[in-house]
Amino acid sequence: MGFFVRFWGVRGSIPTPGPRTRRYGGNTSCIELRSDSTVLIFDAGTGLRELGVSLLRNPPREGLDLHLFLSHPHWDHIQGFPFFGPAYLPTTTLTVYGSEKNENYQLLSGQMSNAYFPVAFKDLSARIVPKAFKKDVVEAGDFVVRRFEQKHPGGSSGFRVEHGGRACVYATDSELDQLLADQQQPVKSPRMLRRLPAPLVNAVKDADLLIADAQYTDEEYPTKVGWGHARANTVVDLAIQAGVRQLALTHHDPMHSDRDVDAKVLTAADRARTVGAELEIFGAREGVTLRLDRD
Amino acid sequence: MASRRTQTIDDDSPQTAMTKLPANFKPRPRRAHVLDQTAGPGSPKRHELSDDTLVIGRGSAADLRLDSDDVSRTHAQLLRVDDEYSIEDLDSRNGIFLNGLQVHAAVLRDGDQVQLGDVVFIYSEGS
Repeated sequence: MGFFVRFWGVRGSIPTPGPRTRRYGGNTSCIELRSDSTVLIFDAGTGLRELGVSLLRNPPREGLDLHLFLSHPHWDHIQGFPFFGPAYLPTTTLTVYGSEKNENYQLLSGQMSNAYFPVAFKDLSARIVPKAFKKDVVEAGDFVVRRFEQKHPGGSSGFRVEHGGRACVYATDSELDQLLADQQQPVKSPRMLRRLPAPLVNAVKDADLLIADAQYTDEEYPTKVGWGHARANTVVDLAIQAGVRQLALTHHDPMHSDRDVDAKVLTAADRARTVGAELEIFGAREGVTLRLDRD
Repeated sequence: MASRRTQTIDDDSPQTAMTKLPANFKPRPRRAHVLDQTAGPGSPKRHELSDDTLVIGRGSAADLRLDSDDVSRTHAQLLRVDDEYSIEDLDSRNGIFLNGLQVHAAVLRDGDQVQLGDVVFIYSEGS
């Protein structure tokens, strides 16, 4: 019955190791959602390598049965895959979800062409199986995963994951400001709630946890328009409109130090307080596990 | 600047290459990871961590015992992997709060505040 969420990579764009990012972490996107019997993986950024190391410490005798979902195939969401230890074991089954065109499967294999990496995709020992969403819904073990479109150059997917009456939404690489009816509103009336489209609000509705791209601050965003990422205050407004319980800000900018992320979290919390919302906000941090099936 | 000299290996020289380390090079001494208890019964108290696993709780089976009714008998476990300590909730009644956020588990970092009931620790990373 357990519903656990672990952050393995929370950095956006490029791995950023070093003392400035030690606390929140420098690995790119990778999140593990786990029940007592199923392991889902969202994105295959460099955090995936460490997840693989962890999975191989105590592998089940019958082998690992893993489910991989990719928000989109930009580097920081697939770069860890060639270094994912379980993919090299014949006892592993890895189901890779995508559309019926299997484009995610093909892109994962494409990045392992000989020009980029010494081991070919076909030489991986694991049983790697593509599986398509049907009408944007799929069952993976004892989870139900719903996919929704996001605003990002080249497109990206958000995922609503449900298990045991609880819901977690993973929504990274989404430029929310480009979805606003009035994109000048944050400048003209910065304190007014930024209204987002109903289909997006419904996809996030009443989530126990929203893990969302919040790469920029309000001050940084004007020079990053069109880059495909959200500013933290607009994410807060989405969470408020959707009645979310907890909001994890993720996809931290590679230029942001741990102190910068702290400041971004404080600013986001101020915004939630301004509109009187009961919303817990924190910065996603590598190595932290939350449990969603408990109050 | 490190200096390094390597002998050419041929039939007349010993089959060992000579490598010179930088002057004064030596492995750094280990420094213990530490939990400083700053609030709750028994504080202040410093706990230097050396075991690979350590149960924190109120009960007699705990390795690090806390005399507080807010703390479960076996409340949390510290686990060292690759010389990093993680803390994990052992189904405790009041949970674990990391810098104010309730977590099931977390890899600890220097300066983290860890709260179990009314007991507060500050974690200092060793090396």
